[in-house]
Amino acid sequence: MNIFTNIYQYRELLKTSIKKDIGGKYKKSFFGILWSFINPLLQITVYAIIFPIIMKNNIENYTVFMVCGLIPWTFFSSVINRSSCVIVDNGNIIKKVYFPREILPISLVTSETVTFVISSIIILGFVLGYGMGISVYICFFPLLLIAQYILSIGLSFIVSSITVYFRDIQHFINVFLQLLFYGTPIVYSLQTIPEEFRWILHLNPMTYIIEGYRNIFYYQQKPDVGHIFGVIVLGIIITIIGYFIFNKLQKKFAEEL
Amino acid sequence: MQDDEDRIVVEHVYKTFNVYLDKANSIKEKVLFWNRNKKEKREVLKDINLTIKNGEAVALIGVNGSGKSTLLKLMTKIIYPNKGKITTVGKLTSLLELGAGFHPDFSGRENIYFNASIFGLTKKEIDNRIDKIIEFSELEQYIDNPIRTYSSGMYMRLAFSVAINVDADILLVDEILSVGDQHFQEKCLNKMKELKNEGKTMVFVTHGLGSAKELCDRAIWLNNGKIEMDGNTSDVIDAYVKRTT
Repeated sequence: MNIFTNIYQYRELLKTSIKKDIGGKYKKSFFGILWSFINPLLQITVYAIIFPIIMKNNIENYTVFMVCGLIPWTFFSSVINRSSCVIVDNGNIIKKVYFPREILPISLVTSETVTFVISSIIILGFVLGYGMGISVYICFFPLLLIAQYILSIGLSFIVSSITVYFRDIQHFINVFLQLLFYGTPIVYSLQTIPEEFRWILHLNPMTYIIEGYRNIFYYQQKPDVGHIFGVIVLGIIITIIGYFIFNKLQKKFAEEL
Repeated sequence: MQDDEDRIVVEHVYKTFNVYLDKANSIKEKVLFWNRNKKEKREVLKDINLTIKNGEAVALIGVNGSGKSTLLKLMTKIIYPNKGKITTVGKLTSLLELGAGFHPDFSGRENIYFNASIFGLTKKEIDNRIDKIIEFSELEQYIDNPIRTYSSGMYMRLAFSVAINVDADILLVDEILSVGDQHFQEKCLNKMKELKNEGKTMVFVTHGLGSAKELCDRAIWLNNGKIEMDGNTSDVIDAYVKRTT
């Protein structure tokens, strides 16, 4: 495959753009890298106050339960959100030089992955803070990470290339992500959903990912490996389709931007 | 027909641009003004065929809008032809617009790394070249300052120095021999000659007929998207000058 030799040859570009992305994000702000903790913590505080009041539930340690879903979700939603403008924002460079365009979505997803791994410390903090301890099943974390990474790459290919042609998608994606937030068991548990509607949630690959993280951190039991591999296979299929779409559309990027 | 010595092969290339008179940028506009979405097709290149061999220095000349820059962009793969095929053999660098990926808040040295990595160099390759690049740019004193403090001439000098030191087999140059002051221009010209003597393949888009004569042994005259004449530099330039004046 051409893509692999391309990326290998331009690995320095991939590395510097990941570094620029992680380092540059908070370069000019006072709190710097701390923002990657403050932001989710503020969000957690809001949700931890609101959801127990408006949605009665008998989930033990609800805050921890929610944090296990919210942090991976933030990773997912910022990948999709940022993918929708990554090509447009880099239009200047795209119009000037040739480089493999797929570097842009790949470096975006990778830098978001690094941010996610760092912010997983928050999950650990809550799990330990509530005295729940850490189980050996945490060793499944990398597997879940890989599944989510592959899925994100595929979706990023599709979203980033299509938005060049239809800028509206940027706005549509915001609405769609909000909808999907409630269509994923993040602030509620899958069991509270009536049996006859549960299949809808099972169509959403993020359900399995969130359930996986929750199993290893919150329930401290072995995650459903079959489900995770299912997501990996789906992710690979989406990535292949996404790459074909991206590759077809990227030929006209310089003209459309 | 493929030959080992061929570096750039352009076969039956057509390029049309859609020129939107009033482009619908959103779905709303597309739906509401579906009949307003007029576009004009502008054929920029028509059936271009040419082969550039290893070690050749070729000048592309022609009036504005004749398709020179488009042809160069096609060769670098920034844009793709509607019909036909372009094959390039070997590492290719384009000096189309200088300073791609430059970030004003980072120092000159850091920007050398950003810029060179866009050209596909690895960290090690850049490490090996960095001294040469800085020396060529003559910016030793300022190299660790953020480049927003540079004058536009200094900026161009830095950008040019990176591009010229990439060590590509094929060099595509668009009208940039006017970088910096007289002294630096001469230096660039000499560097180009040096690269030519090393057997690099070069394509220039230029209006500077003098430097074209000095550097190139072949010239291609584009007119209205077609090749009007292809041959020895001075013959082509003479014919071109005769026609345009």
